[in-house]
Amino acid sequence: MDKAMRVREICDSFRELCSVPYNESLQSYKNDGGLIIGVLYNQVPEEILTAAGILPVRIRAVGSQGTEASDARFTQVNCSLVKHFYDSAAKGRFDFIDGLVATNGCDHVRKLHENWTSVLKPAYSHLLCFPKRQGDDLQVTQLAKEIKKLKESIEAHFGVEITDEALREAIKLHNRTRELQCALYELRKGENPPITGAQMLAVMMAGTCMPREAYNAQLEELVALCQDVEGISDYKVRVVVYGGEIDSIDFFEAIESQGALIVADSLGGYGKRSADMQISLEGDLYTNLANAYLMERPAEPRLHGTRAARWEYLEKVAEEANADGFIQVFIPICDLWGYERVMFATEVEKKDLNCLVLDTEYIFTASGQTRTRVQAFVESITEGGR
Amino acid sequence: MYFIGCDLGSTTGKVVLLESLGDAVDSCRIVSWALEPSGFSPEETADLAINRACEQAGISRDQVAGFCCTGYGREHVSAIPYNVSEISCHGKSASFLLPSARTIIDVGGQDVKVIALGKTGKVVDFAMNDKCAAGTGKFFEAMARTLRCTVEELGEMSLQSVAPVSISSTCSVFAESEVISHINKGVDRCEIAGGIHESIARRLMAMVNRVGLTEDVVLTGGCAKNKGLRVALEKMIKVELTEIPCDPQINGALGAALYARDAYDGEK
Repeated sequence: MDKAMRVREICDSFRELCSVPYNESLQSYKNDGGLIIGVLYNQVPEEILTAAGILPVRIRAVGSQGTEASDARFTQVNCSLVKHFYDSAAKGRFDFIDGLVATNGCDHVRKLHENWTSVLKPAYSHLLCFPKRQGDDLQVTQLAKEIKKLKESIEAHFGVEITDEALREAIKLHNRTRELQCALYELRKGENPPITGAQMLAVMMAGTCMPREAYNAQLEELVALCQDVEGISDYKVRVVVYGGEIDSIDFFEAIESQGALIVADSLGGYGKRSADMQISLEGDLYTNLANAYLMERPAEPRLHGTRAARWEYLEKVAEEANADGFIQVFIPICDLWGYERVMFATEVEKKDLNCLVLDTEYIFTASGQTRTRVQAFVESITEGGR
Repeated sequence: MYFIGCDLGSTTGKVVLLESLGDAVDSCRIVSWALEPSGFSPEETADLAINRACEQAGISRDQVAGFCCTGYGREHVSAIPYNVSEISCHGKSASFLLPSARTIIDVGGQDVKVIALGKTGKVVDFAMNDKCAAGTGKFFEAMARTLRCTVEELGEMSLQSVAPVSISSTCSVFAESEVISHINKGVDRCEIAGGIHESIARRLMAMVNRVGLTEDVVLTGGCAKNKGLRVALEKMIKVELTEIPCDPQINGALGAALYARDAYDGEK
């Protein structure tokens, strides 16, 4: 088979896996007796679950069509993401999970966790308290303790033992995932990126909803193939997408349909940031996990004292990918990214950068308006879009 | 040489036939234009409006050297693959008609846009309304229906308002409920009409604040023909709006025609 075709085939298969909450891969894993834990947000050190022999699956309300089951339990100032997550859970779309692990990522997610545990009563639930500040050993020590608490909680509930050796192997496995994802990001910096931003999002999300060994194997093949394919040339501008928990491939496709090729990102949920760390295998593994998740991984707006670093990271990503502009995306009512929007505007004005701000509800439906905005943005950069 | 721009909006399809008599952009003149209610198919709406504009000018479609589409139906006319966003088209046209224009407030059928132009006429920033129809032509239609009058009459009535009522909701549906409450209380229709226009002007002001206001300011789109809106907006932004020397509803289509001309020149 032609290499470009095989690249498309792998990306399509990843996308297929992301198109329903309980995909074929998960069904097959579950039918073989595997345990699955739903994970809320990327701050959960999934290595612990892998070391326990449990498959972590990131919660996404893909295909959700309403929030009627959640409207009574959330206020108007809760974001649409948590409402759709809860609605899907209440309608049994996550009934395949054997438990839930969340972090205190933001107040909306905390409310989601509270409602989920108190009303829907999952068989197992754990809230990992993630520090809100980056900066010194105190927070790392605290997070290491929290990770140990998660380990003990899982051991107690599921009757498993998480040995250091198993954790070491799990870290190796996850490190390999991150290494391969970074390699793919690296290839997309070139003039003719091998895959689109929408395909890359599918690649990143697939890693959170299928067994990791199988994912890594496919990713290995994809990275190897992408070294040789011709790449994309029919775009008008190169953009970096910047924002929070965006998991809509359709949204990315709407952006790219207007000639704005997404060549890099700095996304809170499924982007490059999640991959931009390697966990050390030397010394205490729990401290290493805490250090990597809190200190090494590029910071999100949730972490106090990181404003300059966040902007620096974004600029670096854009420069390396030779981007012509930024598209900031966010879900309305998201406090963290709402503040980031203001900060972003200040920096953009100061440096006179090309940028577009797009908002989207968790379930993306306003395709026409998004396309108009992006087309106008592209035209403003390229003198008429040609 | 003739060029056609089609602005396929949510309620009306607009077509401008432009004649270019030389290389310079000021050698262009509008020969004819046509407005056609939007049907189910943008393709059909475009066809009808193009044929009418050509008929008016006494030319055949074959004599047109280039076409360009804009508006919500811009990507759905198979015979005209070249399309440009309405934001760029409004900027292009306003700058052509009035080189001193720096801010465009476009109030269309379902969209409201505020566009900031640079000194060269380039779009430097813009803001659009979200999913909500408040402040758009659809909103005017709904309010006129509630007050049992036409949109034109609604505008005229608002000009007679002395103490406009307060319409606080930013949502079309809730605003309609507020209007009904005022009707039931026996409030004069002119004061309700005045309140409706003031509430729209406030909403537009919020968008203007996001982009910034630099003179000259022009009002375009079908709703720009509503005198009540012009007056309410001028009061709100405290700036006199500058008239463009053509029907403000065809501004987007004219921009598209100018882009068609540019594309033709670029391919020569």
